[in-house]
Amino acid sequence: MEVEVEMADVLTQRAPWFVAGPLLGLIVVGLLWTANKPLGALGGYIQLHDWLRRPSGAPGWRITFLAGVIGGGLLSAWITGGNRMTLAYGSFDSLVGASIPLKALVLAGAGALIGYGARTAGGCTSGHGLCGTSLGSKASLIATMTFMATGILVTQILSRILGGAS
Amino acid sequence: MGGVRWAGLAFGIAFGFILGWARLTDYDVIHNMLLLREADVFLIMGSGIAVAAIGSRLLRALHLRDLAGGAPVSWSVALLSRDTLIGSMIFGTGWAIACTCPGPVAAQLGRGQWSAVFTASGIMLGVALRAWMLERRKIPHLGSAAPLPAEAQGPCAGL
Repeated sequence: MEVEVEMADVLTQRAPWFVAGPLLGLIVVGLLWTANKPLGALGGYIQLHDWLRRPSGAPGWRITFLAGVIGGGLLSAWITGGNRMTLAYGSFDSLVGASIPLKALVLAGAGALIGYGARTAGGCTSGHGLCGTSLGSKASLIATMTFMATGILVTQILSRILGGAS
Repeated sequence: MGGVRWAGLAFGIAFGFILGWARLTDYDVIHNMLLLREADVFLIMGSGIAVAAIGSRLLRALHLRDLAGGAPVSWSVALLSRDTLIGSMIFGTGWAIACTCPGPVAAQLGRGQWSAVFTASGIMLGVALRAWMLERRKIPHLGSAAPLPAEAQGPCAGL
């Protein structure tokens, strides 16, 4: 009974980095061992896009992976709590005010940059950053350093322009 | 092939669960990382890379075969090109604005963080735009009927 309570406490708190990080690493290893495939989230969007344009047979494994991530997110909200069932998006909301159209426009625009950029670069935070880098890809390492540096720089610029709002 | 799809689904669920549990789905967690206010996400990335680097080398050193197809565990890596740099800069800009990326967006959708509907739609649009541009320039890519050059088929390409 006591153990159950402690377990519930652990799960409802944000996972510490030394638990989340190694588990994400193990997922890369697990996917490699079971399927001989390198992990990456962007590939799911690419495969989904291509499959919707030319549906041929069952959707590929990258689509089932992406569907799994959605399911895993649902599980995480159910078991570990946190922000869920909400249109609120943290302190991003203070930047766009109460305007939902503005929020939709900015996020969709940022999403387009994410999709176009990562597709051009050949990977995202998971494909290049987590997987490619650990598998010794020089391109992934350089991609990761580039989007990290750009992300930090753009955040600094934006926070100066937008002032205290961010 | 069925086994690979099931493995994708299972590890996708695990991946999405960890992203949500570590709150990598929250705007402020990513924003505080990019503001260099919090080291957690860097530590998650670093320790994840370390575990994956050691684990993958172990699979290869032990000559293990994958469970779905029985082939020796192996991988190839994408080649560095100008696109890697330019694309990463564009991606980094979008990342800084939305404070999320393709994996966490999907986990946000599952969690009912509905702003992800906008972001995910944008990602699909960006992916489609890139595919359209490549087709116009007649460059083969993952969605085209033409066969891909060998390096573009490498596991880490087009992720």
